[in-house]
Amino acid sequence: MTSIAFKPFTGLRRSSVLPCPNPTTTTTLSKPVVKFHVSAARTSPKLSNRNLRVAVIGGGPAGGAAAETLAKGGIETFLIERKLDNCKPCGGAIPLCMVGEFDLPLDIIDRRVTKMKMISPSNIAVDIGQTLKPHEYIGMVRREVLDAYLRDRAKDNGANVINGLFLKMDMPKSWDDPFVLHYTEYDGKQGAVGSKSTLEVDAVIGADGANSRVAKAINAGDYDYAIAFQERIKIPDDKMVYYENLAEMYVGDDVSPDFYGWVFPKCDHVAVGTGTVTHKSDIKKFQLATRNRAKDKILGGKIIRVEAHPIPEHPRPRRLSGRVALVGDAAGYVTKCSGEGIYFAAKSGRMCAEAIVEGSQNGKKMVDEGDLRKYLEKWDKTYWPTYKVLDVLQKVFYRSNPAREAFVEMCADEYVQKMTFDSYLYKTVAPGNPLEDLKLAVNTIGSLVRANALRKEMERLNV
Amino acid sequence: MSISTALFSPAPTPLSVKPNFTTKSTPFLSLNRPFLLLSTPKSLPDNGAGVSASVAAVEDSNPNREDPILEKAVDGSSGPNGAATSAEVEVLSKFEDPRWIAGTWDLKQFGKNGSTDWDAVIDAEVRRRKWLQDNPETTSNDDPVVFDTSIIPWWAWMKRFHLPEAELLNGRAAMIGFFMAYLVDSLTGVGLVDQMGNFFCKTLLFVAVSGVLLIRKNEDLDNIKKLIEETTFYDKQWQATWQDETTSNNN
Repeated sequence: MTSIAFKPFTGLRRSSVLPCPNPTTTTTLSKPVVKFHVSAARTSPKLSNRNLRVAVIGGGPAGGAAAETLAKGGIETFLIERKLDNCKPCGGAIPLCMVGEFDLPLDIIDRRVTKMKMISPSNIAVDIGQTLKPHEYIGMVRREVLDAYLRDRAKDNGANVINGLFLKMDMPKSWDDPFVLHYTEYDGKQGAVGSKSTLEVDAVIGADGANSRVAKAINAGDYDYAIAFQERIKIPDDKMVYYENLAEMYVGDDVSPDFYGWVFPKCDHVAVGTGTVTHKSDIKKFQLATRNRAKDKILGGKIIRVEAHPIPEHPRPRRLSGRVALVGDAAGYVTKCSGEGIYFAAKSGRMCAEAIVEGSQNGKKMVDEGDLRKYLEKWDKTYWPTYKVLDVLQKVFYRSNPAREAFVEMCADEYVQKMTFDSYLYKTVAPGNPLEDLKLAVNTIGSLVRANALRKEMERLNV
Repeated sequence: MSISTALFSPAPTPLSVKPNFTTKSTPFLSLNRPFLLLSTPKSLPDNGAGVSASVAAVEDSNPNREDPILEKAVDGSSGPNGAATSAEVEVLSKFEDPRWIAGTWDLKQFGKNGSTDWDAVIDAEVRRRKWLQDNPETTSNDDPVVFDTSIIPWWAWMKRFHLPEAELLNGRAAMIGFFMAYLVDSLTGVGLVDQMGNFFCKTLLFVAVSGVLLIRKNEDLDNIKKLIEETTFYDKQWQATWQDETTSNNN
């Protein structure tokens, strides 16, 4: 990544004219002389009579995975989570590779989705999933179950799980000063106000999600975000049979101008939702349209819960500052096109923790920004192709109704299905067969041309 | 879209707290109240007023939206509310056409002189998509749409869409070419055959052809500029965090 020539750009970073609270960080742009050059941990001093202390703010998948890896690596870990039974509004889909990589027990997975239906604006429906092998599936989980499992595993490995709300953080005044975290600790009593406490740590991992306070503390900058709106609907059992292991995706201008509407099966109900970046104020209208498109299939259902959450569209301008790193949604690691975030949150938490463990040599040495940068390097190198491909797909196929029609048409092709599922389930951009790729490219262009031609005729009809 | 506006009209200010709401709710809705929860991300730590206001908002707009789904399942208890909204639900009519059978166009009905009239098929599909754009319909498992535009042969698409446009563009290119050749000849005295041998003239020719191909309408100029920016925007967002590194390394 560092070898690519950087074109200058403006406006993406929040203004650096804000007074930087930490004059000794190496990232201050206004200082002409950098006090401490970013370098490997070998030159860092050894910590005497204690292990490295790291705080992980936020106990979702990112925080849980990070805390577990840190604790396993011998680092004194503090995991601060404000709501231990948080039932997060989330699609809840995890790829197959996550089960293996994070050793998830199979009873966490409520449902295995092996079929998907894509529905175009003109209701052309295409079934995908015929190419899946019998052991392959998309796992649907309940977030409260998954998050609790990862947190408990971190606790079992030695992390200190604190039920508290992170308030703010004092930056270190000199290089080896600790970070002082201010948080409100809840001692378990329901509705208690909680007591203010502080904690001194050497490094912080911000895993506190889309509205990250840690990100604010390090002036990480803002990102564009989509609003995802979802209703959980309990439908009659005979209708639920249809959704036994099938998820649906609806595309169209009525459902969302730049995203898709979905019906995902959960443990005993379905989640019907939609999202948008550009027309957030119309989200309820889009939700109505989504329910309308699925009307026959969810008839007789009762809405049991309504929820909404922001989904980052791209990483924050600054994901790292001094010895504070952001992971998961706080960093903005949600893919475009599919809006997938759970796996990437957990993986980034783990990667960041691994970088800290390695840089501090299992907690014996102080870490440096350079060690944390290694996590960013590894992350960008490993997952950049995935993100870029999904970005291109979103730009090409979510632009307009003709593009969406072409998208659904393309999904009928077996090669496309195989490539899509392979890359989704295993998180690698597989190169594929060049001849088939060529055929695919030709077919894509054909579909796009046909759909656009039909749209031009449609406009002529109106006039 | 008439349904959505009709359903939205009784739901006024979304964020005002309504203490006397229970008096308006129908029997089965009051049973549902305990189930309605709302979690919004913005109201994270400082819940207080935010959550109660938004809960009221959800309950406010929900009764009218729930009715279309629920009133068909709950037989008698919907009462006046159910009857009032059932009329609106029936208003939506599905797309109907004698030639649209079993979710696809019946090509036998498009016959003309023994072979299929593909233009008519294209027209019919255009009309169907236009209808659906204005009146989105529900999908149904018993009645799936399986039409695929690729059954219309490539030459039908060519004849109808590509050829007229190609004629237009070739005409433009020919006019530009003739005029530029005349202009260059009159200015430099180099004839057409000698122009083709010159590198600069070949470049001009390339620019003219690509201009005719890419810039067909006035809006295309802006579109191309936006496209170029779009292709690299995401990359820039990802590399933002590395800007720090180069600056600090340079120091």
